[in-house]
Amino acid sequence: MSLIEMNSICKSYRNVGFETQVLNDVTLHIGEGDYVSIIGPSGAGKSTLMSIMGCLAQPTSGEYILDGEEVGKLNDRKLSRARNEKIGFVFQAFHLLPGVTALENVTLPLVYAKHSPGNAKERARELLAKVGLEHRLHHTPGQLSGGEQQRVTIARSLINDPRIILADEPTGNLDSKNGIEAMKTFDNLVKEGKTIVLITHDPEVAQHASRIISILDGQIASDSYQKTETC
Amino acid sequence: MFSSFLIAFRALFAHKTRTFLASLGILIGIASVIVMVAIGKGSQKEVMDVIAGMGENLITVNAGEMKRRGGRLRLTGNVTTLRVRDAHRILDEIAEVETVAPFEEKRMTAKFGNNSAETTVAGSTRDFSIIRDYRLQSGEHFSERDSKTANRVAIIGMTAVKNLFGEEDPLGQVLKMHFIPFKVIGVFEPKGVDTNGLDQDDIVLIPLSTYMRRIVNQKHITRIFVRASSRNNIAKASEKIRELLRENHKLTDDRNDDFTLVSQLDLEDLKKETTEMFTKLIVGVAAISLLVGGIGILAVMLISVKERTREIGIRRAVGATRRDIIRQFLYESLIIGFLGGGLGIVLGVGLTLGLTHWGHWTLILDPNSIWTASWACAGLGILFGVFPAIKASKLDPMEALTTE
Repeated sequence: MSLIEMNSICKSYRNVGFETQVLNDVTLHIGEGDYVSIIGPSGAGKSTLMSIMGCLAQPTSGEYILDGEEVGKLNDRKLSRARNEKIGFVFQAFHLLPGVTALENVTLPLVYAKHSPGNAKERARELLAKVGLEHRLHHTPGQLSGGEQQRVTIARSLINDPRIILADEPTGNLDSKNGIEAMKTFDNLVKEGKTIVLITHDPEVAQHASRIISILDGQIASDSYQKTETC
Repeated sequence: MFSSFLIAFRALFAHKTRTFLASLGILIGIASVIVMVAIGKGSQKEVMDVIAGMGENLITVNAGEMKRRGGRLRLTGNVTTLRVRDAHRILDEIAEVETVAPFEEKRMTAKFGNNSAETTVAGSTRDFSIIRDYRLQSGEHFSERDSKTANRVAIIGMTAVKNLFGEEDPLGQVLKMHFIPFKVIGVFEPKGVDTNGLDQDDIVLIPLSTYMRRIVNQKHITRIFVRASSRNNIAKASEKIRELLRENHKLTDDRNDDFTLVSQLDLEDLKKETTEMFTKLIVGVAAISLLVGGIGILAVMLISVKERTREIGIRRAVGATRRDIIRQFLYESLIIGFLGGGLGIVLGVGLTLGLTHWGHWTLILDPNSIWTASWACAGLGILFGVFPAIKASKLDPMEALTTE
């Protein structure tokens, strides 16, 4: 059974009477432990696909089964719980809470977790150490560089030990050095058994994945496996 | 749940000025409610004190029909049926009556040496000063003998003392009314004004017998003051007095009373009407100011939600439910409400105590108004916070995240 199972997903937005079809009949299965890149030009529907995959939006039609649960049938509470427990987000724009320390940003998902572990702070500290920020625990996002902020985001995505990491253009706002660092982190996470879905328009970044899905005009144009040194 | 509270608290703490300004409306509203209710209660008490000061458990029997005009009771007509023996029968035959004092008064000019002043000359018995609570400041009261032999003695109030004697000691002096000399044997303690605003100290009291024989030469009187045996008996005593007087005056069923009874309770009711109207008015004004305060919360919360759209998106992405978001913003508006309410109570109570202490106003703190105010600010916090909170929770997470 696949961890992510999308069958004939369509998504359209209605805007002032116009209906724009963003995703058109996308069928896609991703197994546990896969390292997938979704690539395509801007406007192709990558971000929409990610928001549906991340339970941030519901498809207009089609069926999405995440970890055996049909997402379309979930209410807000269960949907939020799926985001909280199963998925870790890494955004291009980082999306950290301003004015709040790195440590607290990392523990944010635990605020909404059903069972908040007692050692939340300890775990957050470990994760920040893992991404090399043990000396920046009490800095706010404004006091951190872009690369450091992205690493805080990655630590946050891991705090609840999710099975899937969804990364939307994770290197988009980083210089090449920090970008390479971030990609290394993802490569390592796959080795730890995480399922990683990278969304990017950069073919070089996409090369890190073992499977590359390219999207064009809301449809899957190609879906190929490749051998890389990470797998 | 506690974490939502903490989030809300920290968000407010991060915007101290805005939080304070948002709660300012509620603060002023609550403070003004407390102060105004205290003023209302205080003036009510003042009025009630005046009524009580006119005499405990007092019933006044007035000759003739009395009509209410302009919030005051005025006598109409000239009735001669009320007699001193009515007073005696009331005292003898009605168990609920403790004391009576037949009474007659007239505005007259009194003279002392070269001074002359218009004053109220009243004729009554010793019991008058008991019923109407006139206390002697110096000198002594009429004796039995004074009443029996219609002696020319007088006890005078402070205003009359000031007008006639100035700084001189009036005791033992002789003043003249209608060219008749009266010896001043006592002086009353000052009493202030009554509910109609009349000066109760502008009085020269002489024995009723003296008054009837030497001043007016008449048999009828205009008033009988009655003290009921207790507050609970006022109504019963009034009813019995009415029956007795109708019988005594041989009034058949088809004729109106030729007298009017006004009890302490009637006066209180009359004054309560005015104070209650005043209370309703201030509650209305207070409600409007609280509404304005609530709108202040609404505006600030809407701005806050708009400003923090991205934060809402982030929280939603990491697992916050709609309910979590609603809770967070509701707590914020609730805290603003309580902050305003709390500071408002402090300010209101402070002002009330301050005005009482330094301003010498009669203000009475009403615990009810404080209690109601606390509920009002909690209610306002929730009422005006619900809409922004729901608005925040309805934001699409993905759109919220991409908002700049």
